[in-house]
Amino acid sequence: MIAAFFLIALLQIKVPDAAQIVGPPQGSPLTGAQLERKTMELSSQLRCPVCQGLAIGDSPSIMAANMKAQVRELLERGYSDEQILSYFEKSYGQFVLLKPKFQGVNALVWLLPVIVLAIGFVLVISKAKKLETAPPAAVETAPPAVADEDPYLKRVREMVEKS
Amino acid sequence: MNRTVLIIGILIVAAVVFVLFAGLGKDPSHIDSPLVGRPAPPFALKTVGTGEMLDIEKLRGKPVVLNFWATWCGPCYEEHPTLVASARELPNVQFVGVVFNDDEDKIMRFLAERGTAYPTLLDANGKTAIGYGVGGVPETFFINPEGKIVAKFEGPLSTESLRTELAKAMR
Repeated sequence: MIAAFFLIALLQIKVPDAAQIVGPPQGSPLTGAQLERKTMELSSQLRCPVCQGLAIGDSPSIMAANMKAQVRELLERGYSDEQILSYFEKSYGQFVLLKPKFQGVNALVWLLPVIVLAIGFVLVISKAKKLETAPPAAVETAPPAVADEDPYLKRVREMVEKS
Repeated sequence: MNRTVLIIGILIVAAVVFVLFAGLGKDPSHIDSPLVGRPAPPFALKTVGTGEMLDIEKLRGKPVVLNFWATWCGPCYEEHPTLVASARELPNVQFVGVVFNDDEDKIMRFLAERGTAYPTLLDANGKTAIGYGVGGVPETFFINPEGKIVAKFEGPLSTESLRTELAKAMR
């Protein structure tokens, strides 16, 4: 009787479902070792919202454990990687993706290092070209100064000349 | 050449300073919710104490204050009196509490000791919290009578912040 009551209550429970958010599953249902491997792989790509830069796969928090269980369940139901990441992104925003998407301001994360590297390369090349084409500096062949010669050295030189 | 290098250097430093300066006034733990402006994800959960099911979609026609909390959350103790008092003062607003990853007995004890004025639902596996993009508790969503989320508040609500956010759902 009690079991029947709980079963009825469980059947009535409705939670926000992936089908309403990202549509029907577009992959194949996973089981066994493949399911474990894929759960770990996707869990390393999702940020734990209550941690400092940790993936849900690395966090011991309850929230991360819930999210990881959700990833596993969606994989069992046949949702694709893209659908699962999109499901979490639609609830938490792009913040939840540890690898930012190549779009909007986020594109700068990918583009800026390449741009700075290209500017540095152009500067080095143009500087090197200038050094190659510049005339060689004139070699100074000025006679050694005699005026401020050491008096002791001067005297030694005179003695040598006399002998 | 030296002038070009200087200008490029100044531009890069200025951009970095601008980005850092722009982030100074922001709360680093705040996350903009992509759900604001979208229909509230539907759910139906069991009410703590009575066992009755409450379907969020059946609350259309009234502004809804949807508060995610837990008995293991310190700031939730702080905001609870504000929520209870506001629910008593505002009968035209439906307040709903959703508790996740918690024990029903502990919730019952919490409510018996501190009072309640609205239904508290149990999100046993945290799926509803995930569907709403809840990071840490307490977090509160303000839903307008058409069922659209109009605001999200992170942290304990004060009477002022509750009224300010609720005004967005009353428009």
